[in-house]
Amino acid sequence: MALVGNPNTGKSTLFNRLTGLRQHIANYPGITVEKKSGLLRLDGGDIDILDLPGCYSLTAVSRDERVVMDVLGGRQGLQRPDLLVFVVDATNLKRNLLLVSQCAELGIPALMVLNQCDAAKRNGLRIDAALLSKRLGIPIIETVATRGRGLEDLKKAIPAALEKPSLLPRIEWPECVQHGCVTLCKGLRDLGQGEVSQAEALRVLFDSDSAFACDVRDKVCLKQMVEDAHREIRGTGLNPGSAEAVLHYRRLESLLDGVVETSGPVARSHDSVDALLLHRVWGTLIFLVVMYVVFQSLYSWAGPLMDLIDSATGVAQDFARPLFGGMPTLESLVCDGIIAGVGGVLIFLPQILILFFFISLLEDTGYMARAAFLVDKLFSWCGLNGRSFVPLLSSYACAIPGVMAARTLSDPKARLTTILMAPFMSCSARLPVYILLIGTFIEPVYGPIAAGWALFAMHFVGLALALPLAWVLNKFFLKLKPQPFILEMPAYRVPTLRNIFHRMWERGREFVVRAGTVILAFSVIIWSLLYFPRDQALEEKTTQAFVEQAEASTTPEAVRAELENPESQLSLRLAHRIESAQIEQSYLGRFGHAVQPVFAPAGFDWKITVGVLSSFPAREVIIATLGIIYNLGADVSEGSEDLRTVLVNEKWTSGARLGQPVYTLPVVVGIMVFFALCMQCGATVAIIARELDWRWATFSFFAMTALAWLSAVVIYQIGSRL
Amino acid sequence: MKSTLDRLQVGATAKIEEVSTACDRAGRMAVLGFIPGRMVKVTRHAPLGDPISVELDGQEISLRRSEAAIICIREIQN
Repeated sequence: MALVGNPNTGKSTLFNRLTGLRQHIANYPGITVEKKSGLLRLDGGDIDILDLPGCYSLTAVSRDERVVMDVLGGRQGLQRPDLLVFVVDATNLKRNLLLVSQCAELGIPALMVLNQCDAAKRNGLRIDAALLSKRLGIPIIETVATRGRGLEDLKKAIPAALEKPSLLPRIEWPECVQHGCVTLCKGLRDLGQGEVSQAEALRVLFDSDSAFACDVRDKVCLKQMVEDAHREIRGTGLNPGSAEAVLHYRRLESLLDGVVETSGPVARSHDSVDALLLHRVWGTLIFLVVMYVVFQSLYSWAGPLMDLIDSATGVAQDFARPLFGGMPTLESLVCDGIIAGVGGVLIFLPQILILFFFISLLEDTGYMARAAFLVDKLFSWCGLNGRSFVPLLSSYACAIPGVMAARTLSDPKARLTTILMAPFMSCSARLPVYILLIGTFIEPVYGPIAAGWALFAMHFVGLALALPLAWVLNKFFLKLKPQPFILEMPAYRVPTLRNIFHRMWERGREFVVRAGTVILAFSVIIWSLLYFPRDQALEEKTTQAFVEQAEASTTPEAVRAELENPESQLSLRLAHRIESAQIEQSYLGRFGHAVQPVFAPAGFDWKITVGVLSSFPAREVIIATLGIIYNLGADVSEGSEDLRTVLVNEKWTSGARLGQPVYTLPVVVGIMVFFALCMQCGATVAIIARELDWRWATFSFFAMTALAWLSAVVIYQIGSRL
Repeated sequence: MKSTLDRLQVGATAKIEEVSTACDRAGRMAVLGFIPGRMVKVTRHAPLGDPISVELDGQEISLRRSEAAIICIREIQN
């Protein structure tokens, strides 16, 4: 059976209540619309339940809505459900029944759940469910899904409805529509589309984007047929664009006559709350406070949890290391590749869970739609909309939860644009790079105020470029139809923890299972590029050179004695020197040398180039890589004085700028802008591939990298000439 | 007075006369209840002036001015 209904009807709550955790989330074939299915355990046997995306009608505007028609029509190899369970919001019966009335054409047995009966009662609505059930010819169950009321009745009604199916009466179409359908059926058959049902013909007639119409190959012929039918409809004084809804609503008016009674003037509880929350001044203020809390919780509160995961990873590595005595390659693979990779996946979980806690809370209370209403204007000019705000804001903490949060956008075009813009927001992983470079080169020279402004500017540069880019992308490249931004303002509701935790669990699990595996694979690949080839001769050569150098200032005996103690200063320095030599001749190091000419126009030397390249899987790695390259070991932080001193004193050792400092102001700004704009995050690539597809992920990766390179080059070329 | 929904003042009530045929959004608007003969009331404008929020058949709906512009209305004076 399938659950069908409008958005905000409590359909998902009901689904969760019926199936518990016996759920399975997959994608519909070929598209990334979620297919949620679950199992309902009943005494008489298990029943498969499919939770279809919420939609207002069968008109296929978004991919979500197209899926509904595909399933109900049994197309694309999908199995037609045996029973439709309509979930209907009792507070807005008429609009909810439009979808029901449309679905009657499909001839699938049905059952109706009248949800949110308590809210309807509070709004002064009295609904005669028995009368409605008689008129619609299907059983109706009254429920309050959030409290689980009526659930037992529903569990009894489902098997009963499967045993003794009842069908909805179809609407009686006027002559012109009837005739149009018959002609279309015949015409489509002649085009080789096989037998076409009246339900499908209606979709073709009223909905040029319908899945079925898209399947027809001979578009010209189809268009002609539809136009002929439309002309006939227009002849009777109906607008073919809205005729379907108008006729259904006309039917529903008479169906609902006497069913819904309003006692007195309808006092809607949300009017006074809206007057405050949508107020020009107070509403804006409250919005800012709410968003500040969301952002702070992602940016700061997630920190301790992330540190915990980080140190747990360290403990696991330290625990595992001695287990591989004598097998350094395996030891490094397990510790530096796999355990670090798993840690690198889990580290995102706190932010994802916290963000989805707030998203569920904001959505369930009904505030999300209001927030979108308040800020829509800021985004509408560049093809985004008010719902882009939360994903973009959370991307300032981390793009992973931000990209996932873009699911709240129902408009595919706005969702796509939001996802592509999310990695431009300056995430917290970029902060160490800014702090290191600003702290080393800008603060000592230009003072703390300039440093503050520089840090602010770095956080702004991505956004300042992303919005115009979104405009260009939308204006010239995206061939998707723009969609009206029409939002229903749902009634305010008290959220249930059960729902919120369910959503967090669902998203967290999905991230670990789906994106986590890809991120782990990335991690291992990059590890191997940095580890191999391991050269024993190089290690000996480096050691020998180091010992000779050390012996020059003291006696060979003293050096030997100190090197025998692995904890001594000299041993540590030797280990760092070897690490540095190994990374230079690793595949990635060689690659860094080879592509250094590409980064030369930006003023990068090979060390910066290797640092930049090794940061592609995760940009925060840059600090550790610089530590290794500059013989300081991987254990340096962005505040390390040693690292700062090395950077300031670093000079060109060859080429035209021999003896001049490497890190000039244009180079420093260039590196920071490069990091601000570049997609140096394997996890983001993986999550974009998961949310959109690999083509978009690849496009995003190359476009951002090219843009980052170009910006760094422009900054260096102009900056060094000033 | 004939006008379009985007030009209606906050607090004003109007009757929908027609949803512009030229636009394929008409069907989607109709689904939500923007059909000739129904009454709409503009409840508020967003702080930045766009979108606007209207009351239609007991439900509160927000839409952009560009979308409201395709809805032809006749203002009702009370």
